[in-house]
Formats: sequence, C-alpha cells, structure tokens
Amino acid sequence: MAAGWFSAAAPVTRRVRAYFAPVNRVAQVPVIFDPSEQGRFDLNAPPAPWMNLGWIQGFTRTASSKSGAVMTGIPAATLEQVRESLDAQISFQFLSWTKLTMALASGSQHMNLLVPASGSAASPDGAQAAAAVAIQSGSTATSIVLTAADAAKFTAGCMVAVDVDYTGQTGFLASPISGAYVRQSLRDIDYIRRVTFNVALVSDMTHAGLLLAEPLPGGIPSAGAKLQAVAGFVDRLGGSFYQEWSGLFVMEGSQGERVIFHYPRLQTMTDAEELPVPLALKEKGSLQRVLLKAQFRALPTTDLLDGDRVLCYRSFLPASKALV
Amino acid sequence: MQNGKDSFYMALRARLAAMNPERTTMLRGAVRPGILVEEAEATFSQLPSDVFVLRWLGLGTDSNLEPAMMAAECEITYQTCGCQSFGGLDRGRALSAMDEELLAILQPFSTPKLSYMATPPAPMLTQVFWDEPLFGPVVTQRDRLSRSVKVMVYSYQEQGE
Repeated sequence: MAAGWFSAAAPVTRRVRAYFAPVNRVAQVPVIFDPSEQGRFDLNAPPAPWMNLGWIQGFTRTASSKSGAVMTGIPAATLEQVRESLDAQISFQFLSWTKLTMALASGSQHMNLLVPASGSAASPDGAQAAAAVAIQSGSTATSIVLTAADAAKFTAGCMVAVDVDYTGQTGFLASPISGAYVRQSLRDIDYIRRVTFNVALVSDMTHAGLLLAEPLPGGIPSAGAKLQAVAGFVDRLGGSFYQEWSGLFVMEGSQGERVIFHYPRLQTMTDAEELPVPLALKEKGSLQRVLLKAQFRALPTTDLLDGDRVLCYRSFLPASKALV
Repeated sequence: MQNGKDSFYMALRARLAAMNPERTTMLRGAVRPGILVEEAEATFSQLPSDVFVLRWLGLGTDSNLEPAMMAAECEITYQTCGCQSFGGLDRGRALSAMDEELLAILQPFSTPKLSYMATPPAPMLTQVFWDEPLFGPVVTQRDRLSRSVKVMVYSYQEQGE
C-alpha cells in the first residue's frame, strides 16, 4: 500500500450551502462562527442560532478594498503599502422562496400579510388584521398553547405570526430578530407581528393549541406574545430599513474538505429582484423558475484577537490525510 | 482507474441492497443484488431485465493536477417488461421505479475509494466522486422498455496505482 497521505488538488465542489443568523441590531453584535469548534457541523443541522437557507446558486465574492502605495525617493518607489478602504460584496441566487430568503433578498423590511378582519379597508401591505389571540403559558418554539375558543379559529395548514403587541416603541422592532426600524410612533397594534420573523406553518391541532411544522426562529414565545394568522408576505421597493445578518457559506469538496466563508455582518444592498431561469434543458418551452437575487455588502467587525477590522473569514478544513 | 470503477460499482451495489433488497438477479449460480458490471461477466446475448447494467465507456485524464485525476464515463442501462402477473401492463411503472432507485443510490455523490485487489478490500486515501446523471430517453422494443443513464465518475490516482 502507498504512503498514508496524499497531495490534494484544488477542491471540487458541487454547490454552496447558505446559513444566516440574526445580528443583534440594538447592541450591534454579530453572530460568531468558530470553524475550529464548529467547522465540521452537519450541513443539515447547523449550530444555533444559524438558520439553514439551503443550496444557493451563482455564489460570487467581490472584494473592492483598495490598497495604496506610500512612495518615497527620487525617482519615487514604493516604500510600503497601506490599506485605503475596506469593502466587499457577495451575490448569489436563492433557490427557494421562504420568509427568510425573501427578506434577505429584499432591500428593505419584509412584512407578513396578516389575515384581515372582515370588512376592513384594502391596503397594499395588508388590511387591518383580525384580532390577535393571546398565547398561554407552557408554549414552546414548536407548540403554541391557546384557549379552546382561540384554537378553534385556526386550522392545520395555516401560517401564523407570533410576537408582542406594538405599543408605541421606536427603534429596532421585533426580537430576537429585528424586522424593522421605526423613527416615530405608529398606530397599528399589530405592527410588530407584521414585521416579525417569528412565523411558522401549523402542522396539527391539539386540544391545547397548535403544533408547528418548524420551530419559531425566535424560540419560545416571549411573555405577552400573541398570535395571528398569516396569508402571505410582502416587501416594498423603497423604505429605509436595511436587513443585517451574519452569513455563513459552506463549500464541501469531493474529498471531504470544506471551505467556509463567514461574514459577521452582511447588509442587503439592492432592492428586490428576480432572476427567471428556463426550466427545460436547452431553453425549450416557456416554463421558468424564478430565483431570488441577493446581493450583500459586508460591514466590518473588530477582531478581538488583534484589533484588526475585518469583513470576512475564509476557513479551509483539509480532507483527511491530505498534505497541508 | 480500476479501483475507482470498482469502488463506484460496489457503492451502488451496497446502496441498492440496502434500499431494495428484493431487486436481485441470479448470476453464476448465486443470488446477488440486481446490479452488475457488463465487462466483468460472461457476454450476454440479451441484457437481463430488471437489473442495472454498468458499462464503462470513455476515459479522460487531467495530468496537470497533482495527483492526476481520471474521469471515466459510465453508462447504466436497465430494462423491464413489467410483471407477468400484470401482463406487463405495469412496465412503465416498473421503469419509473428503477429510475427512482438509480437516482437514490447515486446519492451521496461520492464514496471512499477501496482497493479490491486485497481481501478484505483495503481503504485508500481519497474519495471517488461523480457528477449528476444524464438520463436518456425511454426506448420501446415490443413489450420491453429500456433506458440508459450516463454518469461521469472521477478518481484521483494514488501512489502505487
């Protein structure tokens, strides 16, 4: 048998997997990913609080940082280089439409279309909603306890939004994932449930309430949280809110090696756009798959190791028995 | 590339046996999972039905790499007449079932490379991996439906190969 190691060629990858985690907008704290501890995580079960957004397409990194030369002497020659600016962008397409992918691919806040109250006046981002129901104690991220009368208002298969009433707050709203920034008080008591990321599909009904098909992104409902049915989602071109998330992108090589890109702070930088792709091979037929285009600008964080400002960490975990 | 070819076949065979133990074939007096390599068996006058038959076609290499990478094109052919108990009227369903089985056993798209020259097979250092399958059209010949699928299989040449 040959030697117990091999020279690895450049990684051969099939596709890129994307994960996002919410930045704490109030405290301006991104989510840290430690590749030494977490780098070999199961791609189908990312470590909390990272959320799996599935495979993406067309992943492109663009570094726009500029370096300048400090010149000296006659004739002038470069004495040393200095980094003049720090900038990077990434772009890709999401292969699915969900609350989170839509929000990340839209340049502004992303809202839930709450099921309207009977006879309410039409509004482009959802009419006045049917009254919210109070969530009882004992609820978890996947089961919502309601009174029997309230539970009867919902059915398996409906979508729900879970969050507290809006009571005139300003600043970043919804927790732990900020869904909007409000400069002055609004009147809509349901506003936080309109912008919350705490949405889920009801998979089943029990005598005590609702079972959810997926855990609420925000975890256990907070005290005072209420629940409303959701008909769909809406985003707007315009507005002043920028989504900001921590991003993680994983390429898995054919030999088991991994390339991981960790962007602690990513802000959506373009308005909502779609990319139609012909469904049939050789572009026959008229069916098109509509992908969500996403483009982000990386914002810097300070690395506590040495105080440097960085935009992205690229980690490489070599294949087993590969020479390094 | 022989170790790569062997590893690819054995991976598919093990996955098929785990997924559908009822798909078997009688070959040289033994009942085996319903998948075989054409070049490793006696010649067939007619390919067996309800069995996946692997045929190795083209070969390519990228010797600029260290280690060199080999690529072999594998054609997987299968055919069915359906069940006698249904008078063959289920042949379309039977072929669809084989399409799904093949798609399932091709995933994940890699497997550890082993040397089957040794007994038991000796683990090597790299992984054999392959591209998405390209499904050809269904061919109808009287009451027989068949399809061939092409898969590009890649393997790094290890020291001593």
